[in-house]
Amino acid sequence: MNRRANARALVVGIGGLGCPAALALARAGVGTIGLCDDDIVERSNLHRQILFGDSDVGKSKLAAAVRSLGEAFPSLLLKTHETRLSPERAMDLVGQYDIVLEGTDNFATKFLTADACALAAVPVVHASAVRWIGTVLAVGARCRPCYRCVFEDAPTDGVPNCAEAGVMGPVVGVVAAIQVDLALALIDARDVTGAFVSFDGRTDAFRRHTFASRRDCALCGVAARIRCIDASTYASLPCET
Amino acid sequence: METIVRIPTPLRTLTGGADEVSATGGTVGEAIDDLERKHPGIRDRLLDDKGVRRFVNIYVGEEDVRFLDGLKTVLRQGDQISIVPAIAGG
Repeated sequence: MNRRANARALVVGIGGLGCPAALALARAGVGTIGLCDDDIVERSNLHRQILFGDSDVGKSKLAAAVRSLGEAFPSLLLKTHETRLSPERAMDLVGQYDIVLEGTDNFATKFLTADACALAAVPVVHASAVRWIGTVLAVGARCRPCYRCVFEDAPTDGVPNCAEAGVMGPVVGVVAAIQVDLALALIDARDVTGAFVSFDGRTDAFRRHTFASRRDCALCGVAARIRCIDASTYASLPCET
Repeated sequence: METIVRIPTPLRTLTGGADEVSATGGTVGEAIDDLERKHPGIRDRLLDDKGVRRFVNIYVGEEDVRFLDGLKTVLRQGDQISIVPAIAGG
């Protein structure tokens, strides 16, 4: 438990995944939790963003999350970063933490988080959920294998990838639980990398696929091309809604 | 050989909502060709002129075909193909 009490975890995206993830981290005894988001609470969020209630609509997500978590866990050290994870700040921000949990709703931030964590040698657990489907994968501090070993680059067309596509509330709860389970394993120094877990909320079926480092991976391959954070790489990407 | 292919939510508009379909072929590539015949448009969602699209994973069982023999990966009796695209949301 000392590892957890001493651990500093950054949650990027305080939405349907980030809310239950932060709550589960706190309940698991993680001592310091950073929250990164710049959004406000909307009524349409409430069915799945479980740190927020009716009275939070229109307020900053971070302020509402701090109130909610602070009341339940008075000894928890909460740090807030009321900003989107930007290319300019990403390396500095993730470098302040021992582990990152990424649950954002856009590919630009997913790849930025993956790259920044790899370059800063910070473990990261990525999670996503759209409609009934969720996916989770963990990447260790050595960054091999990494997110780009599974998904080489962001989609350029034809893939639903934004919050507007809709997501089922219970699905994000399940997916965030897996995300935190993997994060706690990494904090506890257990190797859970190299597996990609998917969950289908329509059938309640989990699937676990293994993956290895790709030799030609741009981030962790033998001739990796990504050596620094280049803002132009993370320009807004199109989505189908 | 007939193989079960698991279809992710984003592609079910092409399979009439089915989350599993069958495809015939001795390799992954042949199975995808058969999928295209039965569900036109699906091939373009999975492949480009270089092979499997960079944001899509195709698994045979638990193994990513990138780490097997790509589209030439031989299918055996009982194999199942899973298609897992990148998604972002939460």
